[in-house]
Amino acid sequence: MSADVANTASVPSKGSAGIGARQASPGTIAVFLAPAAVIYAGFIFYPVLRTLYNSLHTVGAQGVSTFVGTENYIQLLTHDSVFWRAVGNTAVFTVVGTIADVLGGLLLALCLFSRAPFARALRIVWFTPVLMSYVVVGIIWVWLYDYDWGLINLVLHWLGLGALEQSWLGDPSTALWAVLVTHLWKWLGFNMIICLAALYALPSEVLGAAELDACGWVAKLVYIIIPMLRPTLLNLLVLSFIGKMMMFDLVWIMTGGGPLWATETVSTYVYKRAFKWNTFDLGYPSAIAVLWSAMIVVFIILMTRLLRQRDRLEF
Amino acid sequence: METDLGNRRALGLWLAHLRRTPLLIFLILYTVATGGPFLWVAAMSLRTTPEIFDNPYALPIPAHWGKFIDAWTVSKYGTYFWNSLIVVGGAVILLTIIGSMAAHCLARYRFRGNRAVRIAILSGMILPPQLLILSLFQILLQFGLYNSLPGVIIAYVSTQLAMTVYILEGFFAQLPQDLFDAARMDGYSEFQIFWRITLPIGMPAVFTTITLNFIILWNEFLYAIVLLTDDDKRTLPLGIMHFMGAHQLDVGMIATGLMISIAPVILIYAFFSDILIKGMTAGAVR
Repeated sequence: MSADVANTASVPSKGSAGIGARQASPGTIAVFLAPAAVIYAGFIFYPVLRTLYNSLHTVGAQGVSTFVGTENYIQLLTHDSVFWRAVGNTAVFTVVGTIADVLGGLLLALCLFSRAPFARALRIVWFTPVLMSYVVVGIIWVWLYDYDWGLINLVLHWLGLGALEQSWLGDPSTALWAVLVTHLWKWLGFNMIICLAALYALPSEVLGAAELDACGWVAKLVYIIIPMLRPTLLNLLVLSFIGKMMMFDLVWIMTGGGPLWATETVSTYVYKRAFKWNTFDLGYPSAIAVLWSAMIVVFIILMTRLLRQRDRLEF
Repeated sequence: METDLGNRRALGLWLAHLRRTPLLIFLILYTVATGGPFLWVAAMSLRTTPEIFDNPYALPIPAHWGKFIDAWTVSKYGTYFWNSLIVVGGAVILLTIIGSMAAHCLARYRFRGNRAVRIAILSGMILPPQLLILSLFQILLQFGLYNSLPGVIIAYVSTQLAMTVYILEGFFAQLPQDLFDAARMDGYSEFQIFWRITLPIGMPAVFTTITLNFIILWNEFLYAIVLLTDDDKRTLPLGIMHFMGAHQLDVGMIATGLMISIAPVILIYAFFSDILIKGMTAGAVR
């Protein structure tokens, strides 16, 4: 890579095409990168820094800010029970949801991969929820969960399980799980498509060899398929994890965080504190956002480290 | 996809004994669970609210097609639809231009800071929106772009840029270097190389990002709800939410709105499903 000698202009050195050809004048590079750089500097980096700055201040509506140091963070960590409730809910959501998401997606993909009838049509139908917006999905499921005419209660009634009928989104003990089921319903198709692509990329000799060894299907799944899909599954875990840590839309549409904070997530709480509670302070919600983002990054690093480590040990 | 017959046969065998009734029942139930709600909304969108409350799960007979005209004009879904189209269209055009330029540069040239730029851009992919949105709100307010469609376009471009560059860069990097060497010898300028070689050959990837960005942004909710407050500026998801808030019981008209918002996505999926799925898998499998 010591090729930046003698390469002042964008003239390629004809003989050694590989390196010289990949050089361009700083001006050219600047032109190509400028629009992206401006967007990034102005609307990603600057806002992030400003959020960090805001989190140490009380920020009024007219942009007047007073320095309060770490007061927001102290308040947040010691006095804010709603925040901790939201963290708890989000944690349940993230852990249960992520595992169910990836396992469910894998199972669906295996169903289609193992020559289920009408696999192509099923794949298309199973994928449709992924394409619908949270508003569409949320409203449909609010109706499905409806106490009086929702399909869930009707089916229970019809099955003779009338005792189980209830207001799924209105009851604090079921609301979180009801939203989680909806979220899974939307995203399982995505995980399925990814797993399916990875399954088709598996080398057929390995599966054939296992077949010759009279390997049972459970053994095959556990010892061959899952280890070979590990990189893909890891990616899915991280993706699903990030998505659920940032969970906002569906909760906001279906329950607004209620009843009694039963479905409050960190994201909905940030939104409420910033725009709904008329506190006219962006500092405190900024502190929540900063703390939460730090936690997300730490968890992502831990997760990839942990799972990659096992990867290295086994192979 | 059909080539790997060995694969399928092998797996087919081990699932064969399991496959009979339980699996079939599961397949049917899951298909009904995923496709059913969509058909249900489609049916409701053609029925009046009294009809729905009379029997929520009946077929749309007679079908009230006029509801779509009402939805478009009286319930203002038309306005919301155009706002969505302007915002999403604008953002997708800008993303395609800005993203492919940056991706071309990162994939094609070696320069000092290449790695730093790449990491900076990609870090945007895992950045929680909460970290951005509060100060983005402030910034747009300062520049008079709060509660305006251009403001939302800016927000959308900045949030989707990372993914766009990521997908395009991965594809552009695979284009053979020989093409570019040959073009240079023919005396193409760097910009001509981008315009005449990278873009045309990279069209499949560009198209993937266009469809992916369109669908993601068409469905976007968080930025829109924070950055738009005027009824006349609401995008479709916001408009439907607002309508739902004001007319909780007009289930029939809400369903019509839902269908209007689903339709473009279904159309795109019908025509470009392979491209779309390629984009999604590129994001996750690589």
